[in-house]
Amino acid sequence: MTTAQAQATLYHDIPEARDVKVAIAGVDVHYGDKQALFDVSMQIPDRSVTAFIGPSGCGKSTFLRCVNRMNDTIDGAVVTGSLKIDGTEINDKTIDPVVLRASVGMVFQKPNPFPKSIYDNVAYGPKIHGLAATREELDGIVEQSLVKAGLWGEVSDRLTDPGTSLSGGQQQRLVIARAIAVNPEVILMDEPCSALDPIATAKVEELIDELRENYCIIMVTHSMAQAARVSQMTAFFHLGNLVEYGPTEEIFTNPRERRTQDYITGRFG
Amino acid sequence: MTEPSKKAATREIVERNLPARYRSESRFRTAGIVAIIVSVIILVLLIGSIGLKSLPAYTAWQIHLPVALDQALVDPEGDSSEASIRQGSFGRVLQNGMRETFPDVSGRSNMRSLFQLYTSLNSTRLMDQVIADPGLIGSDYVFTMPLGDDLDLYLKGMLVEDRSVEMNGVLEIEAGRRRTNIQSQSADFAIVLAELQQMMIDEALSLESRAAANRTLMASVDAEEADRLNEEAARFDQRAQVLRTDAAGENGQLELSDDLPSVIVEFRGGAIRMNRLDLNGQGGSGESILSIAENRSDEAWTLYVVDTPQARRRIPDNQLIWTRALVERGIVTQAFNHYFFANADSREPELAGIRGALNGSILTLIVTLLLSIPVGIATAIYLEEFAPKNKFTDLIEVNINNLAAVPSIIFGLLGVAIFIDVFSLPRGTPVLGGLVLSLMTLPTIIIATRASLKAVPPSIRQAALGVGASRTQSVFHHVLPLATPGILTGSIIGLSRALGETAPLLMIGMVAFIADAPKLSLEGFTEPATVLPVQIYLWYSAAERAFEPRAAAAIIVLLTLIISFNAVAVYLRRKFERRW
Amino acid sequence: MSVISLVALALLVMVAGGFYMGRTRAIKQVAGRSSELHSLPNYYGYYVALWTGFPALLLLAAYGLFGAASTHSWTVAELRAQAHEMSAQFEGDLAANSEYVQLESTLESLELTVNGLREELARLRRANDADRDPHLIQLRLEEQRSSRALLALAGTSIEDYRTGVATGMLVTARETGVAASIRAGFFLTHSDIVRAELFMSDARKIARGETPSELLPELEIVASRLTDHQNTLRNSVGLLVLALAAIALLWTRSQIQPQFRARNNVERLTTVLLIAASILSIITTIGIVLSMLFESMRFFSIIPIQDFLFGLHWSPQIAIREDQLGQSGAFGAIPLFAGTAMITLIAMLVAVPIGLFSAIYLSEYAAPKFRTIAKPVLEVLAGVPTVVFGFFALLTVGPAIRALFTSLGFESAVTQSALSAGLVMGVMIIPFISSLSDDVINAVPQSLRDGSYAMGATRSETVVHVVIPAALPGIFGAVLLAISRAIGETMIVVMAAGQGANLTANPLESVTTITVQIVALLTGDLEFEGPKTLSAFALGLTLFAVTLLMNVIALRVVQKYREKYD
Ligand SMILES: Nc1ncnc2c1ncn2[C@@H]1O[C@H](COP(=O)(O)OP(=O)(O)OP(=O)(O)O)[C@@H](O)[C@H]1O
Ligand SMILES: [Mg+2]
Repeated sequence: MTTAQAQATLYHDIPEARDVKVAIAGVDVHYGDKQALFDVSMQIPDRSVTAFIGPSGCGKSTFLRCVNRMNDTIDGAVVTGSLKIDGTEINDKTIDPVVLRASVGMVFQKPNPFPKSIYDNVAYGPKIHGLAATREELDGIVEQSLVKAGLWGEVSDRLTDPGTSLSGGQQQRLVIARAIAVNPEVILMDEPCSALDPIATAKVEELIDELRENYCIIMVTHSMAQAARVSQMTAFFHLGNLVEYGPTEEIFTNPRERRTQDYITGRFG
Repeated sequence: MTEPSKKAATREIVERNLPARYRSESRFRTAGIVAIIVSVIILVLLIGSIGLKSLPAYTAWQIHLPVALDQALVDPEGDSSEASIRQGSFGRVLQNGMRETFPDVSGRSNMRSLFQLYTSLNSTRLMDQVIADPGLIGSDYVFTMPLGDDLDLYLKGMLVEDRSVEMNGVLEIEAGRRRTNIQSQSADFAIVLAELQQMMIDEALSLESRAAANRTLMASVDAEEADRLNEEAARFDQRAQVLRTDAAGENGQLELSDDLPSVIVEFRGGAIRMNRLDLNGQGGSGESILSIAENRSDEAWTLYVVDTPQARRRIPDNQLIWTRALVERGIVTQAFNHYFFANADSREPELAGIRGALNGSILTLIVTLLLSIPVGIATAIYLEEFAPKNKFTDLIEVNINNLAAVPSIIFGLLGVAIFIDVFSLPRGTPVLGGLVLSLMTLPTIIIATRASLKAVPPSIRQAALGVGASRTQSVFHHVLPLATPGILTGSIIGLSRALGETAPLLMIGMVAFIADAPKLSLEGFTEPATVLPVQIYLWYSAAERAFEPRAAAAIIVLLTLIISFNAVAVYLRRKFERRW
Repeated sequence: MSVISLVALALLVMVAGGFYMGRTRAIKQVAGRSSELHSLPNYYGYYVALWTGFPALLLLAAYGLFGAASTHSWTVAELRAQAHEMSAQFEGDLAANSEYVQLESTLESLELTVNGLREELARLRRANDADRDPHLIQLRLEEQRSSRALLALAGTSIEDYRTGVATGMLVTARETGVAASIRAGFFLTHSDIVRAELFMSDARKIARGETPSELLPELEIVASRLTDHQNTLRNSVGLLVLALAAIALLWTRSQIQPQFRARNNVERLTTVLLIAASILSIITTIGIVLSMLFESMRFFSIIPIQDFLFGLHWSPQIAIREDQLGQSGAFGAIPLFAGTAMITLIAMLVAVPIGLFSAIYLSEYAAPKFRTIAKPVLEVLAGVPTVVFGFFALLTVGPAIRALFTSLGFESAVTQSALSAGLVMGVMIIPFISSLSDDVINAVPQSLRDGSYAMGATRSETVVHVVIPAALPGIFGAVLLAISRAIGETMIVVMAAGQGANLTANPLESVTTITVQIVALLTGDLEFEGPKTLSAFALGLTLFAVTLLMNVIALRVVQKYREKYD
């Protein structure tokens, strides 16, 4: 099967029931002279978790950063091709990354709470974007976000403590709360559990599963089990190419590509 | 509210607030750029203003004076020996030379003024030249010496306000015994005359208004103060009155006092300093300065006006006129100021140079280098490679970091209290200065060396130890060579700091006036010396104005040295920069 | 070539020879089979060379440092000893002189009065609130002041009297043909420091073959003594150095055997040398602390510490002469502290914003190309010697400020003002703050910035809300270090701030600082031991204590900060 045909089939693998949130077509990414992504096209459904898997250095993070234009902050990174959210082209000079990032949140591998109180960490987005007119409103947003992130019970009595005083798992959920405080449409997560112990991981996975109700979540993971547990769609990248993309059960039980199968069964990677 | 509409609302709010956010963003960014630009401007201003101030110091107006080196005067014993030449009257030789050049100058005070065109220190220079070449005895010789500092500034246009007006009416000169009368066919002096009169009237007016001010003040002060004010007002009025009558002239002539601009008539081969101007603007009388007056008439002549009154400058009119004549005759010319680079300090700015300070700096830096670099590197190696982690080495470490931030003046106090008072090292010598500076630079060098040792990856050490080298061998044979560029860079920067340091050296007495450049030899280390920055400080605080450009030029030399030190350091850093 | 250069050269040859001899002897002992040696052959060479060179070199260095001074004091001491009889006669004459005895007893009684007054004052001051009698204290203070002035006067006249008699004796001595060396010794014993210094420097000039300011038989004899002693000392040190090197060479050479642990010995020796070097920095600190402390204690034994720390009036110049117990002159350092604080404050107002914003711009906004241009500019600014800034302050900034403020109607503006000194000092500190903050800002992990950008923050929001708060401890440390630098800065204030100890809050007036006064007190005429000179050390101690405290805190904070993000 040629690549073109493979990709043509991929488009149809989106379950009808869900509408497309992010549509990507022909994306190339260069870091200076080095090309990191080759002609990637895919459609990502809303209200579901899409997992990116693949060996280290294959371009998962790079691709993820295209969706909220974080590649703009890297000197020498050039992204070409089309990226649409709800049909609006975002890989375009006229689109302001600031506005875009307000609706595309991101969570990083290592929890990175700001050197502020727990409250201020969550209130950071609403404050800079001016989402809350009054203090009460802000309090409300902070509480809601912490509740959604499943952290409220643990921190409601110590909101003024520094964010860095929390445990690693709590910090990661704090960062997720921070991301959802601005009501994003898409949440990107780059290996959100790789720095966490199993219990914290389980909590975060649970949280991701809940958030799926309301958000389009794209996550990178190195754990096959995690991809299988939490994602509905899975994309497999290799050497900068999108090799295979489809519903998670299909990818894991019946991959079409030899390389996918080898990777999932641990024969390389 | 449903989720999607909430999201749309969020986006709307974000977009609504965006312009304000971008405005504050651009304000912030501008503040950053402004900060950088301010730093750059200050640097340009600093170097530019000092560079401009230094310009007059690079050239010197010199007198090429023909002198007769009569045996009787310069070699009284007649055996051409050094001892004999040392007894010669070289001052007289120079004076005779000046007299020959201006044969028409007479009178004691005029003579004294004439000999002030140069400093008498030049006679020693002439003597040294004759000692160096006794063959000169008995010959006619052209001796080159710098013009006096004030006249040098005058020729550079920095001492007085002056102007020349070309005239072409016929000028009749009628020589008298004491004064020379001149008469022009047209009213050539009218404009100057009017200016002078106006000046006197203006002065009178200002005196009168001050008197009036005093009188109004009298009402509001006590009696004693009022009396004083009244007296002062009366004095003002009286002086104003005198000025007004003077301005009106007497016997058809205006008298020119020293408080007024000088008016000088210059013509081929002569100059007349006017004492009186006729009120009709056609002539006046004055004294002939350059030549013995004779009756003659001239068609090309110049009116030379020095607006700065004689009473308010350090050099009198006759010296100006002589100097101008010497320039005209080609005896005084401008050349590169080699005195500045070849001489040590001098009381006379025209002979003062940076040579002594430069040698002092070199000697001091040699001591600093010899002491601080070996000790600094040794300390760094010990702390980084050998020292066990314990309280004591921690203490050394904290101590070094703090020592790096101790004000330099404290090291000066240390020098006074320990090296001078306890060890009685000789004050103001390069040994002492170098000792103090090396204690000061030590922390810098230690810190830089440690940083570059730290930058050598542990794998190198492990590899060396792996092939059976001892700890010492691994450090000295493998780690140290790799760290050398970094150590060198740190040392150069430390030394360039030492080169520019002033305060501690002031404390330990390196501020003495040193007229002979210290020799760059072993003895030089224990003789009093001064260093470049201190020389700058000394010149800056000297009274003569001509020292100011020299201080600025010394700064330029110092900055050139320091910047090239730093450039070498940066070059080394770039060239050997290695990413492990 | 001078003797010392020859000795140094010979030493060098011996070191090289020692290395060679050590090496060959080791090889010879095992008949060329180096593997039978305990260490590599070179180590035997190093061992011999180190021992040959190092002790001798130390001796040579000590001679270089102290040689001239010892010759000097040796000569002076010898001459003084020779003039012993004449000095004794001088003292005898004085003791027999009723006028002088009268003067001395006056001085003594005055000293007693002053001491009594001081004790009484101390007692009065210690008194409790109720018993405290401010009026009486005031009265005694005035008495003390006047008797101190009298005491100073008496001291001066005694000095003058002694000088007069001594000069007379010298004149008669010259006429009666007393030996020149005795006259020189007598002169050196009884003249004041400045004239003795001048005399000796002339003598040194003659000894070097240069022309002195005057030619006296006394000078010539001193010069020849100086030359003699210098030669003696130099030759004996030279011999000693060579002997030391030779003995060490032979001894260490004889130690060499195949089983000799040369490498371990060499390494132990190097380690010892390295440790000795590191201890030097500790010794420096101890030297600083002890010397300041010692001299300050002497100062505080004359001027009570509370008068120094809290006194509002500073005018040490009135303090009259050395060797007198009673001193007038005011040593209240508050005006100095205030002046220092004002100039430091102005400097910080300039340097902190500009330096911080430059650092932020360079690390957060600037393209790499711009950085490579702008950084060297700041580095050049950092390398400019302070004397240059002082020159700039006085000749460019000072007049400009004066012109500006006079045109604005502030008639009192002067060229040497706190403002111009403060502004220029601020300029000097800009690169300091900017490079320290640049380090600190760069140490903020990129992940924090990413987190902020991912929330949709602009650059300035990221800087203000995330980077700066994260870097705050480091920036605080940097500012603290900068303040300590400003407080200790000397040349700018010496040249641009003036000498007048005004207690004022007006930055257009001239003020003085701690460092300016230290320089003024120690660079004036050579007047040692008086409270005037000692007060410089008290000021130095204060300066050292304050800056040390700040540095310790700053370095702690910065260290903690670094550890956090490492
Ligand atoms: N800032 C950058 N500059 C240059 N090259 C980069 C940069 N970031 C990533 N790359 C390169 O792009 C390729 C893809 O990197 P990316 O970080 O996307 O990999 P990844 O799939 O996320 O790997 P991992 O699983 O290890 O996180 C790699 O070869 C990497 O070297
Ligand atoms: Mg990645």
